[in-house]
Amino acid sequence: MPSTPHISRRDLLRAAALVPAAGALAACAAPASQPAASSSAAPAATSAANPFGVGDKPLEVWIFDGGFGHQYATDIHQPLFKSKYPNVEIKHNVTKEITKILQPRFAGGNPPEVIDNAGADMMDFGALAQDGQLQDLSPLLEAPSWDDPNVKVRDTIDPSVIEIGTYDGKFSVLGYVNYIHGIWYSQKVFTDNGWEVPKTWDEFLALCETIKKSGKMAPFTYAGKHPQYAYEPLLTMAAKIAGHDVLVNIDNLEDGAWKVDAMKTAAEAMAEVGAKYLMQGTAGLDHVQTQTAQNKYQVAMLPCGSWLENEQKSTTPDDFAYAMFPIPDITGSDAMPYGTLHTAPGENFMVSARSAHPQAGMEYLRAMLSKKAAGDFSELVTTLTVVKGASEGREISPGVNSVTQAVAAAGTNTVYYRVFAWYGQLNDECKAATGELMTGGLTPDAYLERMQKKADEIKNDSSIKKFTR
Amino acid sequence: MTFNRYRRGLFITSFLAAPVILYLVYVISPNIQAFYIAMTDWRGVSATPAFIGLDNFERLLGDNVFWKAVGHNAALLVLLPVITIIIALFFAFLLNVGGQQGVSGIRGSTFYRVVFFFPQVLAVTIVAVLFQQVFRPDASGMLNGPLMALGLDPIGFLSDSSFAFWSVLGVLVWQAVGFYVVLFSAGLASIPKEMFEAAQIDGAGRISMFFRVTLPLLWDTVQVAWVYLGILAMDVFAIVWVMTVQQGGPDWSTTVMAAEIYRNAFGYFRFGYASALGVVMFLFTVGFAILSLRLSRRERIEY
Amino acid sequence: MERRRRLGPLGVLTHLALVIWTLLVIVPLLWTFLASVKSEDEIFGSAWSLPETLRWDNFARAWEQAHIGQYMINSVIVVSFSTFGTMLVGSMAAYVLARYPFRGNRAVYTLFVAGLAFPFFLALSPLFFVVQNMGNIPVIGQFIGLNTHAGAVLVYIAYSMPFTIFFLAAFFRTLPTSVGEAAMVDGASHTRVFFQIMLPMARPGIISITIFNILGQWNQYQIPLILLQDRDKWVLSQGIADISTAAGYDADWAALFAALTLAILPMLVVYTVFQRQIQSGLTAGALK
Repeated sequence: MPSTPHISRRDLLRAAALVPAAGALAACAAPASQPAASSSAAPAATSAANPFGVGDKPLEVWIFDGGFGHQYATDIHQPLFKSKYPNVEIKHNVTKEITKILQPRFAGGNPPEVIDNAGADMMDFGALAQDGQLQDLSPLLEAPSWDDPNVKVRDTIDPSVIEIGTYDGKFSVLGYVNYIHGIWYSQKVFTDNGWEVPKTWDEFLALCETIKKSGKMAPFTYAGKHPQYAYEPLLTMAAKIAGHDVLVNIDNLEDGAWKVDAMKTAAEAMAEVGAKYLMQGTAGLDHVQTQTAQNKYQVAMLPCGSWLENEQKSTTPDDFAYAMFPIPDITGSDAMPYGTLHTAPGENFMVSARSAHPQAGMEYLRAMLSKKAAGDFSELVTTLTVVKGASEGREISPGVNSVTQAVAAAGTNTVYYRVFAWYGQLNDECKAATGELMTGGLTPDAYLERMQKKADEIKNDSSIKKFTR
Repeated sequence: MTFNRYRRGLFITSFLAAPVILYLVYVISPNIQAFYIAMTDWRGVSATPAFIGLDNFERLLGDNVFWKAVGHNAALLVLLPVITIIIALFFAFLLNVGGQQGVSGIRGSTFYRVVFFFPQVLAVTIVAVLFQQVFRPDASGMLNGPLMALGLDPIGFLSDSSFAFWSVLGVLVWQAVGFYVVLFSAGLASIPKEMFEAAQIDGAGRISMFFRVTLPLLWDTVQVAWVYLGILAMDVFAIVWVMTVQQGGPDWSTTVMAAEIYRNAFGYFRFGYASALGVVMFLFTVGFAILSLRLSRRERIEY
Repeated sequence: MERRRRLGPLGVLTHLALVIWTLLVIVPLLWTFLASVKSEDEIFGSAWSLPETLRWDNFARAWEQAHIGQYMINSVIVVSFSTFGTMLVGSMAAYVLARYPFRGNRAVYTLFVAGLAFPFFLALSPLFFVVQNMGNIPVIGQFIGLNTHAGAVLVYIAYSMPFTIFFLAAFFRTLPTSVGEAAMVDGASHTRVFFQIMLPMARPGIISITIFNILGQWNQYQIPLILLQDRDKWVLSQGIADISTAAGYDADWAALFAALTLAILPMLVVYTVFQRQIQSGLTAGALK
């Protein structure tokens, strides 16, 4: 037998060399076929009880299976919806990787009706908006609320939800949970050791030093694999130092927005924590690992949102007593007072404009916003919702208690940013760069330089749709 | 005769119909479409894509992350074949002609060959998840556990941006070596025993025998291995996507072309741009093929 | 004993090298198996400690909640059909292209083989829409669109063509022509000659390419990633990748290790049982 590898290799390579010819052929190819936009079938008749005209077609719901699990959907929201529309079949689905699983569905034009687009792998809302994938939820705001036909949905929810959920002038994303960000600790640990909640950054650093010297546990950690847990306090800090406009300018991709002094101070502060006070191995651990370490009293503090208590309920010792404190005063002359909080509606629910039954999707959201649904939700997952007063008279946990107090203390001094929901690439770059900042791979200056460069790149890229606030 | 020719034609057509149709529909047409889409600003389904000529290509010239990815592919293109082939050749030689008399296999060579091949039969994603655990950064990691027990600092195999790439390379080599040991063993087995015996009579030791007899006779097989491994290095995806933090991180230190294409298409909805990246990847692949062809031609003359 | 004494320093180093690589291969696998019977706390504890009690319930959770069984069945279904289909149509095409000169033969062959140079990721997004559109074909569309195993099988087959045809055609060219010609004289049809004479003669080549395709298709991740979106349609490679992310939220690391073990062990057992055939098959066809 002749030796084939001989022939093989040369044939293979020769064939490969021929390929450019095929490429030339390709230039005159037909454009990509467009899947027909699925036309939403004529809606059923609308009425006060059925304001959007829900028909009999199935309703597909995808829940992000993160800190809140998905029991709230199957046990609270869906039965409530079903009680009114027994003929609509609900297809309930759960995933931890929204983008990976659902993005192809959007690209294919057969997206599911309702999506809880949350988690580390959530879809880029900016791209969805640009693509016209988000159902305009304005009718939902104007519809009568589930509980009282005389009150519009608009008046039952926190107004920031509408502001933040608006893309292109249209309210299209419903943040269901009122997320409050802060630094979390165990009240038991602090009491036992006589540690005090720091009010200024110097006190914070001194506390870190005390904890470190005590040898009992590491002072600080964050979900190193997901550096968004570190850029959150950084940006909040910058807003606290120089005012909310810092974040507004960053959101609007203003020239030099990342390189202002407040950002530099904040980046330096975080980098110092990264260099001195992190738990060993932080960079390679994810949120569950770091949070579990805190439950095991291996680390004292970590930045997180108000979903934390529920997320950790299976590993939290009974007497742990979660609590949070806001970002301390950084300079003596911060623009915003002590207690300023980063609050943002999260657990973003959307209805797909191109789904087969968007009417049912909107109605599902309307059911979710009923007092009963929201109250049951708060009780089940120990987190506040955006529905006003829904948790009144319910039993609450120490963490929620602490959050409620923080929110009351902050009053109107709340900040938020949206830039990462608008521009997925900026989010990925910020995760990458913040990880490096925290591990010492980037200096604060180089960090801001890099972020500014990426922001400018996006600003100058005509193919990316821009948003402003 | 005419009838025979007709029968022959019918036979050819019927045998070629299914493979050709499948291939045109699923391979050729998407590839051709990709070249067109690369020149549009297509972001999904809604809008009719606007033809924007070479804008995407201009844009990608300034895309640092993509060029980082290209750099990683280039590094893999050199390192993966070199390291894998050296290790595999070494083991194949030991297993086949490294034994007592210098011409037979070593004891237990069947066992080693079987075990070395294990990683090859595991799905790439399984290997990726497995090593995610092996590389854990604290005392619970398979590698860091012993390190920390010895009082050393743990290594951020996947979390330290100066280490992560090498971890990816290590896993790729780990998985590939077994196959090439088997491939080279087969190549060695086809070399007549007399060649080795003759060399031994000439007083060649094992090392000089490797360079004087084994390597030259295996050269063709080595080249095949080079091409396979080169293609593997260009197409790396699953290991990076599943194993590394932030799918190509930290800080883009492990990302590869395939990951950036996937990220831009299904992560940012930039199908036009992703296709442009695909075209560039295609050009690099063809470049690699032409280069290999050139190099092997030169070898041929020297031979 | 006697033989061992005769090992020179080089011989010792030789064995040492082989043993080290063996450990490099086996230790991560053993460590995974070990972790699969540990409790959550033990997994987060010291890496090499032994479990206090063997937690077999990890496997129950991996099987039931993580659906490893379902994924494995899906993988077996998809890979069996796609490998069979690949070998059937691939060998038919390779045979015709290798043995029947006709106008356009060279062009068709080149077209197939050129596919070896197309990076899969170039076709990634358009392929998604091609399969999507397949789903809109009347009657059969529902079987071959997105999210169908048959649709994935067809794509697997198409993407295996270049490699399969390239090697099988080379193989068919090396086979003697006389037997087939004699049969033709006796009145056998072209089809019969192929199935009854040429295919059996090409057995070594067929076996090795089959093994290549099984390995390649079993490993496939990017095609199912874009084509199979429903959890109950997923293949093993997707399922395992998902469980690893899932463990991050549920913190059920024990089940992750059990799932990994369940995914690894059958492959190793099948391979070890057939290793002789696999290794000789891999090399006999592809190399000689």
